[in-house]
Amino acid sequence: MTDAEITELWVTLEPSPRERARIENRVLEWVEASETSLVTEWLDLIKANPIGGLGLVAASALSLLMLSPVGWIASSILR
Amino acid sequence: MLACGRLQPAWTLAGIFAALSSRLGGDTEPLDEPSIQRLVEQARSGDRIAAQRLYRQHVDRVFRVVRGVLRSNAEAEDVTQDAMLTVLTSLDSYSARSDARFAAWVTSIALNTARRRFRRRRPELTATGELPDVVDEHAEPEGAVDTARERAALLRALAELGPTEREIVSLRYGAEINASEIAEIVKLEPTNVRKILERTRERLGARIEALLKQGAFI
Repeated sequence: MTDAEITELWVTLEPSPRERARIENRVLEWVEASETSLVTEWLDLIKANPIGGLGLVAASALSLLMLSPVGWIASSILR
Repeated sequence: MLACGRLQPAWTLAGIFAALSSRLGGDTEPLDEPSIQRLVEQARSGDRIAAQRLYRQHVDRVFRVVRGVLRSNAEAEDVTQDAMLTVLTSLDSYSARSDARFAAWVTSIALNTARRRFRRRRPELTATGELPDVVDEHAEPEGAVDTARERAALLRALAELGPTEREIVSLRYGAEINASEIAEIVKLEPTNVRKILERTRERLGARIEALLKQGAFI
């Protein structure tokens, strides 16, 4: 058998589509699970686009505040 | 969250196309070394699309190598997963070299992960190999049977080799890396690796041909 024939034969050892999907899901899941904090992401956003990023960060911070119990308490005190 | 961490690359048109392309299997074409090195740099600076593309460029290669060394697909799956995680989380420790490709670094991590598994639980290599758990539904049935037969013959022939020979041929034919790169991974002289490769290729080839002639797998 030639080098090329053996190399071709090795392709039969490749993972099946199901195995490939399982590996990919687990690896990408882990990578996503170890993502950076929200604050770091906001800082990255501002660094990438200072003007537009600041607006987006302010909007997301406000929406987080308004949707959290802290926001409800603060708004009820203000009322 | 995946697209939000470093919004700059992910939200550009190129990033969206890259994401779509990888979803549609557009990363299967092997890239040349300069392109791989560019992906490494981008992934290091936090570009997740680049990291995904690097992953997809190397995952099959890693699986082919570790499957040649380990006893089952299940073990190969676990080791591939651990090795690819190590690769993606250790990119900062990688330094590009002119005499070894990125694939050689990835493969050395995969082999070390497989060796750790080997030490923990001494595997008995499958004598007969095993059928793939999913047959490609688009493949001709006859082609699928041939592939399964060839796979079983290869696994049985591999099981008859010593551990070093098995590692060397798996690196050569599974990862398609050269003798100098293999020599560094298995800590042998390149001339020794070439000799072992030559000898093992003849032995492996003859054994596979004999097994396929016997046709006793399926």
